Amino acid sequence: MLDRELSGQVLRAARARGGSFAELFVEERSSLTIRLDDGKIEELTSGLDRGAGVRVGHGTSFGYAFSNRLDRDALLEAASAAAAAVAMGTAGQVVDLRALEPPVVHRAKRPVEEVPAAQKVAWLREVDDVARAFSPHVRQVSASYGDSVQRVVIATSDGRWVEESRPRVRLGVQVVAGRDGIIQTGFHGPAGLAGLEFFQEHPPATTAEVAAKRAVTMLDAGPAPAGEMPVVLAPGMGGVLFHEACGHPLEADIVDKEASVYRGRIGELLASSLVTGVDDATVRNAWGSFSFDDEGAPAQRTVLFRDGELQGLMYDRLRAEKDGMASTGNGRRQSYAHPPIPRMTNSYILNGPSKADDILVSTERGVYITALGGGQTNPASGDFVFGVSEGYLIEGGKVTSPVRGANLTGRAIEVMSAVDAVADDFDTWEGVCGKDGQGVPVGSGSPTLRISRITVGGTGG
Amino acid sequence: MADLAELAGAAVESALDNEAVEAYAEEARRTEVTAHKGEVEGLTFAESRGVGVRLIATGRLGYAYAADPSFDEVRAAVARARENAELATEDEFNALPPAKPIEPISALFRQDQAALATERKVSVALDLEHLAVSADPRVAKVDQAGYGDAVSRVAIASTAGVTAEYGRTDCWTVVSALAEQDGETQSGWSFRVARELGELDWGSVAQEAVERSARLLGAVKPASGRLPVVLDPFAGSSFLGILAGALSAESVQKQRSLFAGLLGEDVGSPLVTLVDDGRTLDGPAAAPFDDEGVPTGRTELIAHGTLMAFLHNTYTAKRGGTDSTGNAQRGGYRSPPGVGTTNFFVQPGATPVSDILRRAEGGVLIQDVSGVHSGANPISGEFSVGATGLRIQGGELGEPLREMTVASTVPEMLKGIAAVGDDLRFFTAVGVPTILIAEMTVAGV
Repeated sequence: MLDRELSGQVLRAARARGGSFAELFVEERSSLTIRLDDGKIEELTSGLDRGAGVRVGHGTSFGYAFSNRLDRDALLEAASAAAAAVAMGTAGQVVDLRALEPPVVHRAKRPVEEVPAAQKVAWLREVDDVARAFSPHVRQVSASYGDSVQRVVIATSDGRWVEESRPRVRLGVQVVAGRDGIIQTGFHGPAGLAGLEFFQEHPPATTAEVAAKRAVTMLDAGPAPAGEMPVVLAPGMGGVLFHEACGHPLEADIVDKEASVYRGRIGELLASSLVTGVDDATVRNAWGSFSFDDEGAPAQRTVLFRDGELQGLMYDRLRAEKDGMASTGNGRRQSYAHPPIPRMTNSYILNGPSKADDILVSTERGVYITALGGGQTNPASGDFVFGVSEGYLIEGGKVTSPVRGANLTGRAIEVMSAVDAVADDFDTWEGVCGKDGQGVPVGSGSPTLRISRITVGGTGG
Repeated sequence: MADLAELAGAAVESALDNEAVEAYAEEARRTEVTAHKGEVEGLTFAESRGVGVRLIATGRLGYAYAADPSFDEVRAAVARARENAELATEDEFNALPPAKPIEPISALFRQDQAALATERKVSVALDLEHLAVSADPRVAKVDQAGYGDAVSRVAIASTAGVTAEYGRTDCWTVVSALAEQDGETQSGWSFRVARELGELDWGSVAQEAVERSARLLGAVKPASGRLPVVLDPFAGSSFLGILAGALSAESVQKQRSLFAGLLGEDVGSPLVTLVDDGRTLDGPAAAPFDDEGVPTGRTELIAHGTLMAFLHNTYTAKRGGTDSTGNAQRGGYRSPPGVGTTNFFVQPGATPVSDILRRAEGGVLIQDVSGVHSGANPISGEFSVGATGLRIQGGELGEPLREMTVASTVPEMLKGIAAVGDDLRFFTAVGVPTILIAEMTVAGV
């Protein structure tokens, strides 16, 4: 996409007025999206994106300029615009660019471009058939298939040269079920940093069944109970909670703004001793992984909590330099059009000693949650809220009838400290996380776990 | 650099005889400045342009886009859209809109704003943060304080004869303030948009964010119960988003709306009139034409509680046997048009906010809700969302409340509206006055 000589010139132009470093991020992304809705292949969209962003750091501030032109003039112009944000100083150095070896490579065994779009259309047709055959109550099915290949080149004034190709695939299904005036929806959408071999492990028909079952089951749901009670989270769901309630307040920019409930508390016991949580970009072919982050730092595994004790933060380059730390490889961006900020990759709660069945049997009364609808956290107070899209009552140690309209609210430290059982059946959940207007692919994961007391909001009193 | 209209024209010229082709070209220049601790935290300049091509052949739709394309790349996008169309399902309602006369709205583009110096933008961001951290001793820092603006242009051309083009300027400020006392932290935000800096009251944005964070200090969990609930415009705007999806003809036709089959029925209190108006300059979303070149207009969706209409683009109008309401919308050149709102608002009533508070004795004012995107089901209309707010005592705002959840359904909420305030306020393109709901379940424990 770009040669090293031109990259060096752009970096030198970016450091014309000094600053602590300069960085060039170049991207080319080809994509295909296919949407099925209402039994029809409504649309196929092919996309070609490209652009470059130049950043100049000075302290914890930065100047950033980007363009979707990749010619020499446009790049040098972007470099000057970014440099203009730095107070006048002497020009900074640019070290000779040297290619870095990736710590892990995420290969597509069956690259998306080797399979014709007609096959991808056929998967969506199969999804539609399977979901509609699942139950006569299925009213509507919408599904989308997406693949993309993002090729990036990153060059920095301290001599880093990184090239990476990131293949991504996702197939998501939403099913609407209805009966007697009640309407419920179910969604499932596994995704990977992989090629089409991903769909051998996650067959489209299975995805359709999971979504259809979710919607149809919830037709029988009664009002959720309201009040404080034990909640058991199915595999993967504890990871979603961990991402929102603990992950965001551990991103170094949030901490730096003194807006984090975890600020200044490394080394303290702030979760149950059963909780060990990591952020891991090295998990092979996982949705939130990469070889290098979007600042050219190698992918790594960062322990956030060990046996409940807070271990550290997730850093990008700017905040790491400020705190005198090394980047943890969490500098990510949605595209060349965005400056990088600290973001999670795959945030996981690791397996514990219990069995899922034992956890349920020992829960007299509570709620069992198999799908969360995403959520929000106020990192300053740790307050969070989650919608529950699939949940059931636990009565006498058994999972019984489904409940609707529930949500979970609580505070990060209290809730994570109230985890009193962690099983050994780890699974993942994939999503797109939004922060400061930027969406990036993230993975979450956890085994079955129980929170001894948490507020469930519902209409059932 | 090639002119936008010329790029769009190149796509139209490469259409074959049996094809309908439309090109949507846009370009934007944006600046964003954020301030933190009296210094510029980030300064971002952006230039972007792109072209999206929609191609319909024998009722089949294909789409392709390219970022900053050359003329050859625009033609290549037409070829890819053609390949994609071959795999899509035939649908007789796929069509491009015919050309209609478009009335320009000259007030959307402000020359002074387009020429605003970067230094001025930086000084606004710094001033914004300074105002936020010096108004109240309990608010010493911000989570976010920033100024942003955009100068943009759109051009649409099609084989159906559409050739439309317009430019606009927009600017905005946002503050999220952090209030602290006795080890407790509360946050509060505010946001305003305008077409030029001279019309952007950033001082009030700082002031509001400070007030809204500080007044939550000392918040407690309320007891659960059924109570009168007042939604202030900040909280009300979050709920309006749920309604927007349900009032799109696309959702209705796909049986994905709680309003399907209810045209002409009473769906809300007689106090509720809900409007979409793509031309009013009171809202920031005004534009002369929608994202497929149809002139914008005003649509009363709910009038005095009765469901009157849905929002349409050309496709849904054809399928529903009606006319487009000028509500085609897309997420930029990267996607074909769907249906979306423009300036979408609850018509203000005559009740002053002080009267509403008097009538809500013992209830709560909700100032912020979280989790609407996840805790609300847009199809069934059920929701259960987290909220912060204040107890209403003696017609005044009293004790702050946190970790509340409010749960209801959209139809129940609309029918339960007991008063509509006179204080309409737009947040991005959504506007709501203060609203009193007679009774809702509030859970705190």
